Amino acid sequence: MPDDLKKRVKELIVRQLKLEMDPATIADEAPLFGDADGGLGLDSIDALELVLGVEKEFGIKVQDEEVGVKAFASVNALCDFVREKAA
Amino acid sequence: MDFQPLPHAFPFRFADGVIERTGPAEGRVRATVTADAAAVRENGFPAAALAELVAQSALLLEGGDAALGRKGFLAGISDFKVERLPVPGDVLTVDVAIAGRLGDAVKFEGVVTDGEGGAVARGAVTVKKGLA
Repeated sequence: MPDDLKKRVKELIVRQLKLEMDPATIADEAPLFGDADGGLGLDSIDALELVLGVEKEFGIKVQDEEVGVKAFASVNALCDFVREKAA
Repeated sequence: MDFQPLPHAFPFRFADGVIERTGPAEGRVRATVTADAAAVRENGFPAAALAELVAQSALLLEGGDAALGRKGFLAGISDFKVERLPVPGDVLTVDVAIAGRLGDAVKFEGVVTDGEGGAVARGAVTVKKGLA
């Protein structure tokens, strides 16, 4: 079911941040934050929105900023984080 | 409890002070709409100022620092609905509850009602603590 998780995470990102894009176009390894090539260019306010979205979608709380920065580095990183917390 | 004034200066000060604290960064704030407030004088109380009012209320409850002059700033607005614009003479109450935080970004849900308990506005604001 790993592809299902990636799909859910990408849909969560687009829905929670009200992005006008197809979730499928978000690359698995692309950086979500900053202006790096191919990244989404999200900022700290977006990070908080993602924290709230992950809490609502997966029931996982992210209270530490350092954990959040690591977990939201990319779609793959966020999937790893969700799997780890759900295990 | 003691009335706690907001450090914002006129004319960009909409929230008067904390009426009641119900938890960490949660509670009720009072805002009196005066006829000589700059926001009201020319075109009436703008809808965007209601979001700023909720943000000021949230920062008051989060712990406004009078010595610093300000403790944070409005950084985001979401799902904000205005039922009616305030008029001079309105004494508004703003009920604020924390929705989430990450680092120096904090999201609050706010409900603004008038003296009769009528709905004025509700929605979420995100504030960033520190200077802009």
